[in-house]
Amino acid sequence: MRRWLLLLAATALAAQACGGGGGGGTTFNADSVSGTVVLSGWQASPEEGAALNAALAGFKAKYPKITVDYQPIAGDYPTAMVAKFSAHQPPDVFYVDSGVAPDWIKQGVLQSLDDWSSSRNFDTSQFYSGYLNAFKGSDGKTYGYPKDGNTLAMAYNPDMLTAAGVQPPTTYDEMTTVGAALKSKGMVAYSMSTTLDRILAFIYGDGGNLLSSDKKSDAIDSKFKDAVSFYLNLFKMGYAKSPSQLGVDWNGKALGEKKAAIIFEGGWLDSYMKGTFPSVPYKWVAMPKGASGQATLGFTVSYSIGKDSPHKDAAWLLLTYLTGPDGMKIWTQGGVANPSRKDVPAPAGKDVLVNSAAFAHPWSFIPGFSKVSDAFNNAFEAAVEGKGTVDDVVSKTKSALDQQLNQP
Amino acid sequence: MLGIGRARGSLGTERAQEALAGYGFIAIPMALFLIFNIGALFYSAYISLWRWEILGPTEFLGFRNYAFILRDDVFHIAIKNSIYYTIIVVPIQMAIGLTLAVVVNEIWRGRSFFRAAFYFPAIASSAAITVLYIYIMAPDGLFNHLLELIGVNPLGFHNQGNWLGHSDTALNSIIGLNAWTTSGTMMLFYLGQLTAIPTEVYEAARADGAGPWTTFWRITFPLLRPAHYLVATVSVIGALQMFDQAYIAGGSGGDPAYSLMTMVLYLYNSAFRQFEFGYAAAVGIVLFVIIFTATLVQRRLFGSSDWQGAR
Repeated sequence: MRRWLLLLAATALAAQACGGGGGGGTTFNADSVSGTVVLSGWQASPEEGAALNAALAGFKAKYPKITVDYQPIAGDYPTAMVAKFSAHQPPDVFYVDSGVAPDWIKQGVLQSLDDWSSSRNFDTSQFYSGYLNAFKGSDGKTYGYPKDGNTLAMAYNPDMLTAAGVQPPTTYDEMTTVGAALKSKGMVAYSMSTTLDRILAFIYGDGGNLLSSDKKSDAIDSKFKDAVSFYLNLFKMGYAKSPSQLGVDWNGKALGEKKAAIIFEGGWLDSYMKGTFPSVPYKWVAMPKGASGQATLGFTVSYSIGKDSPHKDAAWLLLTYLTGPDGMKIWTQGGVANPSRKDVPAPAGKDVLVNSAAFAHPWSFIPGFSKVSDAFNNAFEAAVEGKGTVDDVVSKTKSALDQQLNQP
Repeated sequence: MLGIGRARGSLGTERAQEALAGYGFIAIPMALFLIFNIGALFYSAYISLWRWEILGPTEFLGFRNYAFILRDDVFHIAIKNSIYYTIIVVPIQMAIGLTLAVVVNEIWRGRSFFRAAFYFPAIASSAAITVLYIYIMAPDGLFNHLLELIGVNPLGFHNQGNWLGHSDTALNSIIGLNAWTTSGTMMLFYLGQLTAIPTEVYEAARADGAGPWTTFWRITFPLLRPAHYLVATVSVIGALQMFDQAYIAGGSGGDPAYSLMTMVLYLYNSAFRQFEFGYAAAVGIVLFVIIFTATLVQRRLFGSSDWQGAR
């Protein structure tokens, strides 16, 4: 019996291989798929919930035979998902943050999507590569499509800059002169995080890198060091302070409380400012240019399918609807998120953040990367306190990276 | 004859039944203890020998996880921080707990009010207290305002008044927080033992002309020895397992500059940020060995006199 089944399966595969190439999708008929798909993610705000429900209503109208069972996860999302993966009962479609994507891909809990995107004709060329590449494994396969994306850009308080008689800086050199101008008026120019998830944008802007294309640590070179020096120097000169030095928990609050004039954050700032500091003026401009041009970081979250998902066909339809042009337009038009596709227009007021995706590098590296970013952050904090040098930051980052690459 | 024999027999069965009921009652907690404590311990020891990821074991490593732990600089920092924290915080907790207990024990009017007031921080959620503490210790927070009121300028300190944000003061600030929140629990342990000291001893001392200072050091302090043992053991175990305050104040990276990286935070990162469960299990076993050794040493130091607190 078993042998018969195997033979049957082999024949089917052979038939598919022969028929492959032209048209594809010999057996997949989207209209005949039915059933229930479980969708999970986290929910940051009620507005997000409303936007997702609107997108799901659009899906229901297009595929009335498929029911979506939305089960948001409250609390520690990665930990909750790890429990579901290890029980082999993941949701069918779920969020994957670009920061954990390399870990989950390596663990083999996500379904690769390449075979389906070619056989079922899903066009992925419209995704910004800075977002899509975050979900590519070391095998070159894609394990999720970005549901939206965010970049870092510069937000500034125009009144404070006017008071100091300066324009927003457009290059790293101008950042220093603007910092000096504000300092001379008794203001702090920049509230800047002492963490790699901000500093790396400046490293890329100066032509530095963290990982070589073959994922080795030898990309950390003098350009990396120069960019870290530049960033550290803003602290040493008193032009920049960290949120903790300013007595706030993040840069957005420093801008809202007018403790600093300029910050580097993403689209999440807008809802915060609207809700907490509605009367404080601020404007967005793209990141200043470094020695090798403009660069920023792209933070994104994908919709992915579980390897153990029982309803993969229905899951595929939901995934491609939500990350396709129609679903993404509904999801982003209210301004809760920025599109990750070039063919979806930017919501009002989000042009800077959306257009920056063109020069964004993905925030997604190697499995176990959190240990590397911890090493960088802690070495950089020590340098800000005067207990370490830029060389220490470079050597500690490099050795943490090597350690992670050579882990048993 | 027969009657007596029967009586003996029924007494015997009664005892046996009583014993059976007793074993029945402890069977359930004992089974839970064996499965979830002892069993989990052996299972962790087994996991620690493998590369064990989300979907289970993938490769047998022998003791390579342990070798890797011993070589990892961050783990060395975590051990150093945890031991420093324990050495400083435990004596402070014991001293404050003992002082509060002696004071509360002397008060007759409003005694239960003070007992409850001192115990209050221990029942409040440590997460909530830590979040409040972060605000209090911020550069423009309450603590620095109080310093300014008494004429000290916190901005003149080399940490610029950034108590939790500077690596020199972050761990010490957490020590201050925990000494305050846990001393209430220590006070309760001491209070229990204080009431167990017979009043005759004090009367005899008074008859011999001993003042309050001599009475405390010669009578109260030595007779509290079982409580010292209990309090020291409980504090050391709790201190070596410090996690929540460090995680909330310093994030999962133990910021700033790893000053809040503790052994349990390191373990959490290995399991839930790097998904290396085998490695995390090995860290857990190392932590277990450290705590177990510390407890054995304390048993030697403070003796094994039975706890005689309020029964």
